[in-house]
Amino acid sequence: MKPVKIAISSLTHGHTRKYFQTLHENPKLEWVAVSAESDKVRDVFLKSGYNVPCYMDEKEMLDAHPDIEAVVMASANNRHIHQFREYTQRGIHILCMKIPTFDMEEYDEIIRLVEESGIVCQIELEMHYNPVVERVKKLLAREVLGTISGFNATNITLSPVWAFPWQGVPEESYGKRIPLCEGNKRFRGGALSDHPHVFDMIRWLTNSEFDYIYAEVGPNLRTDIEVEDILLVNGKMKNGVSFLFDPSWSRLEERLEVPGPGWEIYPKRMEVNFSVSGEKGVMLADCFGPNVYHNGAPNDRYTVQYTYFDEWIGMMDEFIYCIRNKDNPKINLKWHKKTIEAMNACYESIYSGQPIYL
Amino acid sequence: MKKEEALLRLLEKYSVETKTPINIAYGWSLLNKQLQKNDVPLLTWRANRKFIELHKIVSGDTIENVCMLRFCSFGGKKWSLDALMYKEFDLCEYLGGGKIVSLHAVLNERLAGNIIVKLDNGIIGSVEVSVQAQPEEKLLDRHEIIARRGVASDLVTDTQISQSSIYTYTNTGASKYKDVDYELFGLNELEVEYIRSAFEVYKEPSQITKLQNQHAHLSVLVKAAFESNFKKQKIEIK
Repeated sequence: MKPVKIAISSLTHGHTRKYFQTLHENPKLEWVAVSAESDKVRDVFLKSGYNVPCYMDEKEMLDAHPDIEAVVMASANNRHIHQFREYTQRGIHILCMKIPTFDMEEYDEIIRLVEESGIVCQIELEMHYNPVVERVKKLLAREVLGTISGFNATNITLSPVWAFPWQGVPEESYGKRIPLCEGNKRFRGGALSDHPHVFDMIRWLTNSEFDYIYAEVGPNLRTDIEVEDILLVNGKMKNGVSFLFDPSWSRLEERLEVPGPGWEIYPKRMEVNFSVSGEKGVMLADCFGPNVYHNGAPNDRYTVQYTYFDEWIGMMDEFIYCIRNKDNPKINLKWHKKTIEAMNACYESIYSGQPIYL
Repeated sequence: MKKEEALLRLLEKYSVETKTPINIAYGWSLLNKQLQKNDVPLLTWRANRKFIELHKIVSGDTIENVCMLRFCSFGGKKWSLDALMYKEFDLCEYLGGGKIVSLHAVLNERLAGNIIVKLDNGIIGSVEVSVQAQPEEKLLDRHEIIARRGVASDLVTDTQISQSSIYTYTNTGASKYKDVDYELFGLNELEVEYIRSAFEVYKEPSQITKLQNQHAHLSVLVKAAFESNFKKQKIEIK
């Protein structure tokens, strides 16, 4: 099979680094270029040691490499709509970061652009390629727990805003500056906007859609950012499963401009855990554990050193397969729309103080 | 999915050629056998993510000036004391960054053993091994590396056994699951490390000689452990 010629655009998304090794090692990909949105992200990329041309202008990259077939759109959420317009016009397949947009009119435009151009568009929801999630899926399919009653999930992390500042700017993260509720000085676009996985996973694993959803924000841990960092979500699925999510940035971080060792203050910088209750029993799952542990450099703090992060391999395999076989990825724009609607419903619930029916 | 099938699939996926005929096997399974030129004794644990990360923690100076290792490995009857010593001695050297130059072993009828080793960089280490664990499928192990700056371990603090990723408590009892590799999903941790290490050999055949040399060295160490136990003496490794 001819390798897919691929580029990465923008380099401003927190997941950008995860792609470097996969794009470099997968023989079915030919990594031809990157574009950087700032001198800072360009310099970080150049230090990573990959011999791939880096352009400061995205259109210049596309013009210089008309053979680019696909792009990893590693940009801030508010850049996506503009990039979709550009890439679909050029017939370039898109791997889009986890939030295409929170604006549902824009979302529909994106669906239309993708359908009319005939490109493959896959959403980066990498948990679908996590081996623990795969096992959970198989156990639930085998009805090990019988009928599910309750589904609790965490997607708890540190805050990336110091390294990826757009995630703390409401217009760039949420797309607009909307207060969390009347009289609140904080705005949409924080931890909730960063954590779609739990909303996606419950749909996938319970094979049901949201019935109603309620969300509550707490006081921020970080009093100097203008987006939410602590919140809880609960509600019911249409099949009766009750749920509770914690999608907070509840792990404090050192305010590094480039993520690296010592970023975390709490030992584990990121967790996705599930606890599921069913008629035959309960299940507890840690999607990123166990690991190894140390209290060494740079800060001599007890730290979790992760032992596997291979989700990007399976995800890119599916993207390549869909491009070459003209297939539709399982996490496509239409599937993902209901996840975005549920996240928007959380913001509406926070604003109104009441549950929102979907 | 069988190991061999999974390995072939991985080699094909990454376009790795397998022209050179080699005979890959767990290193410990070749103990006391005359190696043929194309025999490749795999040190499979070196491809296990937890040991890769522990190795990085030491070699990247996240912890500095290692002084002592505290390793243990308890298996069931399908394991032999020789195999467990072979593995743990190699891990002492891989994680400790040196060669074992002496050891004092106290063994009990090939069922259990307690060994103190010393590396050429001054690090000392304890190795506890046993084949009396139940159930037989899983190894119960611990690898703790103690340095002047920091401690690293594959056990989370305040626990005595390795954690799993998933636990279920249902009307049929308790179960646990640990899946470590999406590309090789369905295979257990020991099978995954076997395939990953075999894959690396096919990808980088230049490491075959190094593996054969290390196997010869580890065979000497295992033999020395039995000699030490028999003579009730510390054995210097030449």
